[in-house]
Amino acid sequence: MKILLIEDEPELRKSIKQYLHQEGYLIESASDFIKAQEKVNVYQYDCILVDITLPNGSGLDIVKQLKDANSKAGIIIISAKNSLDDRIKGLDLGADDYLPKPFDLAELNARIKALNRRRNFDGNKSIIVNEISIIPEERTVKVNDQLVNLTTKEYELLLFFISNKNRVVSKNSIAEHLWGDDSDQLDSHDFIYVHLKNLRKKLADKGCEDYVQTIYGIGYNFKIN
Amino acid sequence: MKLITKTILYYLLISLPLIIIAGFLSYHLIRSELRDGTDEMLWKEKLHNENILKLQPEIKKTYLSLDSLSMISPTLFHKDQYVFSDTTIFDVAENENVNYRLLKSFLNTNNQTYLIVVAKPTFEEEELLEGLFTSFAIIVGFLMLAFFAVNWFLSKTLWKPFYKTISKLNEYNLQNHSNENFSASNTKEFNQLNTALNKMTEKIHSDFLLQKEFTENASHEMQTPLAIIKANINLLMQSPNLKAEEMDQLQAIDNTTKKLASLNKALLLLAKIENNQFKEISEVSIKDILNKVLAHFEDRLMAKNILIEHKIISDIKVKMNSTLAEILITNLIQNAIRHNTTGGKIILETENNSLIISNSGEALKINTDELFTRFKKNDASKESIGLGLSIVKSITELYNYKIEYNYKNLFHEFNLQF
Repeated sequence: MKILLIEDEPELRKSIKQYLHQEGYLIESASDFIKAQEKVNVYQYDCILVDITLPNGSGLDIVKQLKDANSKAGIIIISAKNSLDDRIKGLDLGADDYLPKPFDLAELNARIKALNRRRNFDGNKSIIVNEISIIPEERTVKVNDQLVNLTTKEYELLLFFISNKNRVVSKNSIAEHLWGDDSDQLDSHDFIYVHLKNLRKKLADKGCEDYVQTIYGIGYNFKIN
Repeated sequence: MKLITKTILYYLLISLPLIIIAGFLSYHLIRSELRDGTDEMLWKEKLHNENILKLQPEIKKTYLSLDSLSMISPTLFHKDQYVFSDTTIFDVAENENVNYRLLKSFLNTNNQTYLIVVAKPTFEEEELLEGLFTSFAIIVGFLMLAFFAVNWFLSKTLWKPFYKTISKLNEYNLQNHSNENFSASNTKEFNQLNTALNKMTEKIHSDFLLQKEFTENASHEMQTPLAIIKANINLLMQSPNLKAEEMDQLQAIDNTTKKLASLNKALLLLAKIENNQFKEISEVSIKDILNKVLAHFEDRLMAKNILIEHKIISDIKVKMNSTLAEILITNLIQNAIRHNTTGGKIILETENNSLIISNSGEALKINTDELFTRFKKNDASKESIGLGLSIVKSITELYNYKIEYNYKNLFHEFNLQF
């Protein structure tokens, strides 16, 4: 999959590229409006990550340009401007998602995957990881072809783990993914533990291997060989 | 004390002694003038009597007037002098004391000394004085009345721009500042005052805008560096060779960054509320929002084993920004969960146009007045950043709602009046 990252901050560009590169994506980047324009005019991308405030122009104009050109690319706006107006404007213009800064790379990764699934680039509607298969459209999870009855939070937790498989995801990333802005640090860590315990038990009941490794101090790793 | 009351009081303080002194002086002046007149008339009468005596050879005691005061009588003494004196005689007919002016003099003629007494009642003089004083008092009274009226009139008209300025100042609100707050007047001093006030409020307002803009910009500018820190933490975390100690440090950095990010987010939200950036208003149902928020916190309520007691009698529908309505209710419910005891209770009820959210919990350690102040936390070690209730406060202020806090029977109670 080919991704274009339009972001003017070099450090952020570097980290995003590094993280997504490990996912096996082909990732290119543009540091300002003009370079971004050139790239979207010449190449085809599957997904475009675009910052709104750019040198020489606005990321929203690039979104507009892509839509005018009937681009098939999925668009995620990453912006420091977490204002409702910008969010609505961006989504109205045809962006698929809006991720306010500061975001977690694990969250960005999960959003890219979700967008990919929605656009159905892979040609199939289910995610299959060894004995686990998930059909996101139906929100159903099967282990060894047996339906696992998960709560919303448990389902979201599993999907987040699988989106970031073989990665260390911090408890804070999980908390933010599950509860959004108003996740309190201390108690949310306890809730993650409770949800994870239930999830592990439900999966194990259907004969699923325990893929979730606890990483001391930080979080978890959904490890698949 | 009002300006007009003060003016009148000072005027009275100065004018009353002056009026008394003036009254006293004029009484004496007029009285002595009148006495001089009476005395002159008595003198003329005396001369007239003397002339008559000189022409008549001999005369016995003769009364010259009905009141038997004026008379001519032969006497043995002779003094070469005359005396003016006052006397009071009881008038039977009038049944009152009547004052008289007397002139006693002696005349030596035809070898006989005569005592000539001429008298004149002074009631005319007194009546005149009385009349004068009555008119004097009336004039003073009218002057006073006129003074009060003029003062009242002046304070109503001349001071009108001043009172207008005061009421404008009272109403002044930085949030809805307009350029021409204090309008021009045709009185120079008030014009100067209004110009000065305009300049001052203009300056305050622009400083206020700058400060708001600064908060918003600073918060915005901090988002990207925070994103970089977060991204690098995410990357560092993937390193397979981290020691336990390093992981603890990484966790500490991650937690702190998250706290910083939420602090920044809250400050930005506060700045946006104060900058009135949530302009879209729609009718929101408080009941719907409550249900949504409670569903959102469901797992937390369950984890803390908190019982929700619904006493909602009727739904409250308000016209406000729906995002802000959600933030308002979320913060209050979050607060009620966070400061609750395990196995505690949250009571939700409506009363007329107000929503009451109460939760069990220990009494506050901080002053209740400081509850809505930024960064005031009851328990410094708790995870909250201390901005939740300030956000609640600024939303309520934006829409002129009222929020009150009370601690009753081991329950924290927030009463939100829409």
